Amino acid sequence: MSNVLRPYLAAVRSTLTAALTLENFASQVVERHNQPEVEVGKSKEVLLNPMIISRNENERVLIEPSVNSIRLSIKIKQADEIERILCKKFTRFMMQRAENFIVLRRKPVKGYDISFLITNTQTETMLKHKIVDFIIQFMEDVDREISEMKLSLNARARTVAESYLIAFNP
Amino acid sequence: MSPEVYNVAQTPITGHAFNADRSQVAVSLNSNDVQILSRSGNEWTTTETLSEHDKVITSIDWAPNSNRIVTSSQDRNAYVWQQTPDPLTGRTIWKPTLVLLRINRAATFVRWSPFEDKFAVASGARAIAICSFDPDNDWWVSRLLKKPIRATVLSVDWHPNNVLLAAGGADMKARVFSAYIKDVDKRPAGSVWGEKLPFNTICGEYTSPAGGWVHAVGFSPSGDVLAFASHDSTISIVYPGGPTIYTIRSNTLPYVTLTWTAEDAFVAAGHDCQPVLFTGSQSGWQSAGSLDDTSAPKSSGGARGGLGGASPVGRLNSLAYTTFRNADSRGLAQSPGGAGSASPDGDLFTVHQNTITSVRPYAGQPGAVTKVSTSGVDGKLVVWNVSAVGSLTTRLGAARLG
Amino acid sequence: MDVNFRKIDIDAYDEDVISEGELYEADPRDPGQVLEDAKAKAAAVRSSLSKGDMAGALGTILDSPPFGANVEDAKNLTLQTVVTVLNSTKSADIPNVVKSLTPEAQDTLMKYLYKGMAMPGWGDVSGSVLLGWHEKLTDVAGTGCIVRAMTDHRLV
Repeated sequence: MSNVLRPYLAAVRSTLTAALTLENFASQVVERHNQPEVEVGKSKEVLLNPMIISRNENERVLIEPSVNSIRLSIKIKQADEIERILCKKFTRFMMQRAENFIVLRRKPVKGYDISFLITNTQTETMLKHKIVDFIIQFMEDVDREISEMKLSLNARARTVAESYLIAFNP
Repeated sequence: MSPEVYNVAQTPITGHAFNADRSQVAVSLNSNDVQILSRSGNEWTTTETLSEHDKVITSIDWAPNSNRIVTSSQDRNAYVWQQTPDPLTGRTIWKPTLVLLRINRAATFVRWSPFEDKFAVASGARAIAICSFDPDNDWWVSRLLKKPIRATVLSVDWHPNNVLLAAGGADMKARVFSAYIKDVDKRPAGSVWGEKLPFNTICGEYTSPAGGWVHAVGFSPSGDVLAFASHDSTISIVYPGGPTIYTIRSNTLPYVTLTWTAEDAFVAAGHDCQPVLFTGSQSGWQSAGSLDDTSAPKSSGGARGGLGGASPVGRLNSLAYTTFRNADSRGLAQSPGGAGSASPDGDLFTVHQNTITSVRPYAGQPGAVTKVSTSGVDGKLVVWNVSAVGSLTTRLGAARLG
Repeated sequence: MDVNFRKIDIDAYDEDVISEGELYEADPRDPGQVLEDAKAKAAAVRSSLSKGDMAGALGTILDSPPFGANVEDAKNLTLQTVVTVLNSTKSADIPNVVKSLTPEAQDTLMKYLYKGMAMPGWGDVSGSVLLGWHEKLTDVAGTGCIVRAMTDHRLV
């Protein structure tokens, strides 16, 4: 791993650890309901300050903590048009299968590519440090995945172009 | 001495309360039912299930002398359970009595008063219900403490004089109220908190410097000192005279529960997964160290023994944090035998593997508690020796000699 | 059919509801006074910096920072000054500088680090410098410091 990525992931990890201090909290607005307060946003006092961790303008993570849920949104690095298309396809593929990922949100927060919603139910059923590991692992893999896809896309395009041009040069 | 660890469930324990002789414990396993477990040897087995609530139970308290259980739930109700003979079979059963709470949001926390003639129910309706028994109608009636609470009340604690009540909540304030009920209480003697105490008198309102929801409040055994833990990872100790407030900033995650063990010491626990002892006096407070020995991995089950591998006392406090920090430099957490303090299969080095939600006195008198019990999100019930912190130092000395 | 009435947030009219301004105690200082303070501190920091006293400079600027509403100028000036100090500290010196700060100043520094990271490209904010400081500060002050940056509604 590059040395530049490490402090970025370390910052995300420590911030996420600090934010994942959730408890079971029934709504104080709606009777007998228990909603993720970060999504409802009706009680200001149970929301905490949103935190942004950024490497540069194009790569950042937004963590919005609240008393019983947190929302984590990732802006994935997109250097050029191909990466933008790949990233869109990739996150769309994931989000359409959100229930398999449990903590994945079906729609990203505005300005970001992919969002996770972690509630107190999930920190109760899963080990907290494992959730943190999962998110960090995801962030690591997504960059690699996209650059690999870009490489294989380029390789494929080259092969296609070559075999097409061979036809004119027998 | 190692802590006694009982794996009660795989689900979170939302609350626990022992009976007077500690032979039974009432727990709620993140469900609508209360289970009463009885000790048989080294195991706890379910002997009874109390079902009446229809939403998750948030808190349980067991009055030691009158042997009554009170439960509160997110269904906005509280019930008082009493052992009575069943009219049909003659067996002794736990019978629920309805409490007229008059709140319209979740009940979040419940505690009997020291004399067991009243109890307080904290709620999300921005109110605390003080309940007393009405013999004419055979039910419990309540009076509400409302002003100036602005958000969900998360915890309450009774003053030993049976009248004052401390409460902390999501509005980031810890307050001391008078919960004086004319027909129940004798006129209380004046204390450091005030002289005249009609119902709903506010005797003090405190907040920690960086804000944060107040998760836990507690009066010292004499009732003259108040400690509260808030979500900004601080614990504040209030001497009402000045008022003098000591704030201890923690390096680790917030504490959510605390209990006093002596006039100069209390145990707090929370998201850090280990109970920590704090000691001090009017001249200052500090952390005395963790009750947990976080230097070695625990087998996930049963009590662990042995004295090996005690770590330097000064480092104890930050060990859970070190777990995460070491895992920061990625690879460490994955490579088996790495220096991280989470073992290769991902267990934390603390006894509790997830947040501790409740710590309560287990053995000893008020003011001289020798053991505390904790329960948490990981479904474990653990009994700790409060003196374990002190003995760590001697243990270390012994280890060096040997 | 007109359905706009459905979009009215009636819960906001509940008299017990807490508004944004009630989440923290307002700064007793007058906005003009706050800006004067910030300017004076920025000048003091410049003189400390010229002497190479990083810890002193950081301690000065992190003492009673501007927070709350109506003090945008003072906030920007303070952030600018903090960023200048952070950028001009050698990375080998960071751990010692962080350790020399009071716990209050550490909490405030954490708030500025997150504020800086939320505005990449603003002034001479550099992501890698802030991330380096964040790591060192977390080493010293722990996750508790991050939790306090989240809970404290006195936004810098």
